[in-house]
Parts: sequence; C-alpha cells; structure tokens
Amino acid sequence: MSHTNALPFPSRSMARDGIPDQAPVLSVNGLTTSFYTASGTVHAVRDVSFDLYKRQRLAIVGESGSGKSALAMSLVGLVPPPGRIVGGSVKLGGTELVGLDDAGISKIRGRDIGLVFQDPMAALDPLKTIGTQFVETIRVHQDVSAKVARRMACELLAEVGVNDPGRRIADYPHQYSGGMRQRVLIAMAIANDPAVVIADEPTTALDVTTQAQVLDLLAKICDERGNALVMITHNLGIVEELCDSVNVMYAGRFVESSSTRSLFGAPAHPYSKALLDCVIDPATAKRGALPAIPGSPPDLSVDEPGCPFVSRCPIGRDELRCATERPEARTLAGGAVVRCHFASDTPGDAA
Amino acid sequence: MISTIFKRLGVALATVFGASIFAFILLRKIPGDPARAIAGDAATDDAIAALRKSMGLDDNLFVQYGNYMGSLLRGDFGFSYSTGNSVGSLLAQRLPATIELGLLSVIIAIVAAVLAASIAVYSRRRWPDRLLRIASSLAMGSPPFWIALLALLVLSIQLGIFPGPEGRLSPGTLRPPNVTGMFTVDALLAGQWGTFANAGWHLILPATIIALGPFAFLSRLYRNQLRGTLRETFVTVAQSHGLRRFPVYSRHVAPHGLLALLPAASLLFADLLAGSLLVEKVFGWPGIGSMTADAIIQKDFAVVQAVLLLAAILYVVVSLVADLIMTAADPRTRVGAR
Repeated sequence: MSHTNALPFPSRSMARDGIPDQAPVLSVNGLTTSFYTASGTVHAVRDVSFDLYKRQRLAIVGESGSGKSALAMSLVGLVPPPGRIVGGSVKLGGTELVGLDDAGISKIRGRDIGLVFQDPMAALDPLKTIGTQFVETIRVHQDVSAKVARRMACELLAEVGVNDPGRRIADYPHQYSGGMRQRVLIAMAIANDPAVVIADEPTTALDVTTQAQVLDLLAKICDERGNALVMITHNLGIVEELCDSVNVMYAGRFVESSSTRSLFGAPAHPYSKALLDCVIDPATAKRGALPAIPGSPPDLSVDEPGCPFVSRCPIGRDELRCATERPEARTLAGGAVVRCHFASDTPGDAA
Repeated sequence: MISTIFKRLGVALATVFGASIFAFILLRKIPGDPARAIAGDAATDDAIAALRKSMGLDDNLFVQYGNYMGSLLRGDFGFSYSTGNSVGSLLAQRLPATIELGLLSVIIAIVAAVLAASIAVYSRRRWPDRLLRIASSLAMGSPPFWIALLALLVLSIQLGIFPGPEGRLSPGTLRPPNVTGMFTVDALLAGQWGTFANAGWHLILPATIIALGPFAFLSRLYRNQLRGTLRETFVTVAQSHGLRRFPVYSRHVAPHGLLALLPAASLLFADLLAGSLLVEKVFGWPGIGSMTADAIIQKDFAVVQAVLLLAAILYVVVSLVADLIMTAADPRTRVGAR
C-alpha cells in the first residue's frame, strides 16, 4: 500500500461488509482541530478522515483525552474556544461545513445533523419547560405553529418512551430523571429528522441500569428512521453490540479503522488489542488487579515525530523506527486500515 | 410557601429590631455630648445639665431605649433638636426627594450594567470587555462625593451642561402639586412639561453619580454570570439544535444572568443610601441623605436613629421581595413543584 496523502478511507471499504456502494451522507477529510491555550497548542484532532453512509452505525472509541469529543464538536462547528478547526473538510452531501458562518451552520445543526450529549443532567435549560425547549427546537427548522410543534413534540416524547407526554411536556428538566432526560434529548435531536445522529458518550453519565435502555432506544430510532449513527464512546461493549464499524482513536488520530467483526475478532493495532484486553468479562474475571494499559496518553501539545503509542506499546518500545517515523495509514488484507509499522497482515498476529 | 413567608417575616422583624438596638447604643457611645451640641459653646453647665435631663440623657440605656421604642410604636419618631421639627414631619418632607433620586439611580445602574455587560460578552471583539473592566474598576474605586464635586465643577460650573447645586428645581420653576412628592411624577400627572424637564434635568447628574458604584458591581456580576452560563452544556445543546447566536443568548443565557442580578441588586439598596448621603449634600439635594449628614455632625440622635431604622426596614423589605421573586422565577426553587 502506498504511503501517499491519498489515504485509503476505511469506510469506503465498508462496501464489502454489506453497506451498499452509494454516496456517503457525511464525508470527513483530513479534519484537524487544535486548541490554542496559554500553555501551548493542543492538537486534539489530527488529520481524521472517514465516510459515513446511510444506516451505517460507526463507532469512534478511545481513552479520555484522545480527541473523540473534539472530533464530534468539529463535525458541527461547535468547537469551544480557544479551539478551532485548523484544516480539512466536513462534507454533508455536497455542502462543505467547515468555514460556514453562524447562519449557515445553524441551518445544518439539528436539521441535517442531530447531536446527543454526554451529560443529560446539564443539557437542558433549567429555567424552561421541556415543552418550551422542544417547541423551540422544532420551530427553528420547521415553519409550523407553536401548537402544531407541541403536538409533534408530544408524539416524539411518546416515541422515546415518556409516559403521559401531554402532561410531562409542561414539566421542568429537574422533574425528569437522568435517563428520562436523555430520552427527551434524543427525541429533540431527531425532531427535525436529521440524516446523521452523533451521540457523544450518551450513556456515560447514566445509571448502568438505564444505559442499556437508552442505547436500545437510540438503535431502534436509527433503524426505524434510517439515520446514520456516529457513536462516540470508550465502552467497547457498546461498540460490539451496536455498531457495524469502528474507528479507534489515539492521540487525535484514527489508529485503526475496520468493521466491528474484524476488530473484535482480530485487532490489528497493538493499541486496539490493549483496549480489548481491558474489557472485563464478569464471567471469567479473576480477583486482583484490573487489566490496564501501562503509561498514560501522550501530551497532545507535543507533536512527536514517531508513533504516539510507542512508549506504551508492547511491540514498538524497542524499535527505533517507531520512535522516529510516524506510521502512515495502510490497508491490511482483511480490510482494516491501520497506522502501525508492525501491524501484521495476518489477523491476530499484531502483538 | 406560606410558612416560608412567615419564617422570612420573623427573620426580617428580628433584623429590624437588632438594627434599632445597634443604632441606639452606637450613637450613645460615640464621644461628644448632644446637649452641648444643641445648646452651643456659650451655654452654662447648668443649662446643659437641665437640657440633658429634659432629653432623658441621664436615664440608663435600658430606660432610654424603652422610652424610644414606646414612642416609636405610637408613630412618634422623636424630635430633631437641630432643626426644631418632629422627625416624622422631616421624613415626610424629605423622603420623596430621596426616593425619586434613589429610584432613578437604581434604574440607571441596572439598565446600564445589563446593557454594558451584554455588549461586552456578546461582542466578538475584545475591547468592549476590556473597556467595561476599566470603567467598572474606576467607578468602583472612586468615592462618589469626590466624583460629585468634580462633575459639578466641570459639567455644571465650567461647561454649564447641568444645573448647579441648587436642589430639585431651578429657582422660580413652578412646583408641581403634591401627589407622590416626586417632582417628575407629579409634574407628569399635572401635565407640567416644563417642570418635568427641569426636575429631570436636576436629577440626572446626582442620580448617575450615585449609580456609579452599583453599576460597577452589577455589570461585573452580570458579565461573569453570562460568561459562566455560556460555558454550560445546555447552551451548546441549544446551538446543536440549530439556534443561532442571538436567540441562544437572549433565550438561554440572559435569563440566567438576570436571575443572579436580582438578589445582588437588592443588596445594593443599602449602598445606594450610603452613597446618597454625601452626594445629596454636595448637590444641595433636600433629601434624607443630606439631612442625615447634617444630623450626624450635630449629633441629632432622633434623626439618625430614624434614618438607620428606615434603612434597615428598606433593606429587609427589598431583600424579602427579591427572595420571593427569585423563588417564583426559578422553577427549581418553586415550592410545591412536583
């Protein structure tokens, strides 16, 4: 595989995994986002590219601080200052989103791309009723009366499992539990029927018992409506259950992109393998130390020349090449795209 | 809700009662003899002793306080020796002038603070925020009476834009019929446009100067509140739903700022009274402030006590009302919410 800038995009190879060959709904190319802080420039998202197709469920996994959320926010132009998109492109259909002004990107947000956030407890304005916020969300994009919008909101609330929506819609956020708020937020995110739903760790702040319900709901809704889903998470269990393809993110880059089946069956990148080794199976777990990846994620304000995983990598630690030469993306025989000098073409042989 | 109100009323009463004791004892313990102040330096010791007796100053503090509270409950605020009037009639005469000035100050302070802070936070440029920081530091750091003197010198005497320290109306201006005692309001009610303009003209400068300190405080508070709210997740969520910058700001950011502004603004009433003391004096404003400034110098107990009590009542009532509004405005504190 050539080491040119024309990267072989992982999701295009998804066609082999049952996704029909069609134009992507969302196409991301070389997206780069940096935060310009007083103590230095943090390169949170570095040269990220992927395509997203209708009905596809794409996962982006990685540790805290790997740039997952910054990537999600970059897709809709909501990178908080002092961060900003430095380069690359996000194309929705034929529309370039990077560089749109407030008016332009506001038309896209909610209507074409819906977002579900991590902390449902903080995601609703505490001073306004659910109804007020919901009606507002609908009427931003749809030219309907407040009355009609309210009826639509009630239907959506019923759809996501809010009991007695006619009465509950008049309640304030603090009168909802965390799980219920996340249902409301999911309903709001899909209220204008976006083609793409981005869920940024939608269950991290929830009780374990409600996590599964919310995930099932998200999956059901995307199935029924045919949305594409980008699931950002650090929970590999969610990925295995919900998503058909995975991008493993490390230090702002996608280090491995493949189908869920292939990643879980035979992880190619040593980091992917290490991540999978950290998944605890309650059935087989032994007492004692929990599995962990030694070391900590690299400082994103330093742009080191080699592989960012080198100091924690079981195979690369002694290799001069890993420390000095950044691995470019290459496609393995199995279809996975990986950024590692030593990832083997033979599945499961990586480490 | 009802029990909350009663609890608050109890606390309010205790506060006022405490303030009355505090003022009473403090005034009697500061050095200087009020009888001497009233009778003058030329008075004989005998005359002063007689005056002290008639004023009840020789009784012990408890008896004095009992007498004071007794007459207070009958609506008698005591007698002002320095002016020869009952304190009650003095208050009735001067209160409207101070209320008019104070209300305008409050309005100026709040409106200016909200506008300035909104612009500073909403603007994509940095200089409005820097300007506000500098302006509020200056306003906070300068004593109001000094600004008052400076403003009189430059704006009134040098440039002649504003009237001099001549009180509430220019000499010879028709006084409006007494309804509220506030000249601008009364003039409007009577349709006396000339008087309204003249009274307003006299109000603006002292009101603005009194408003400076509160403006500085409120604008900083509001600015910080807005900036804090802008970092809240629900603001990002509203944006992610497609709301543009201004609607996000006006519907989801500003209300949180205003909610924080309310209790702070109520706290400022005390500041306002203190600020008006010397500013009224400088502008020859015939209100409570200048009266109090004179009374303190003259050791005119009855007047100072009455004003302190009034201030305590005002403070307690305003914060009580602000609390009730807050409770009603914030759904999270609304009692009885399901």
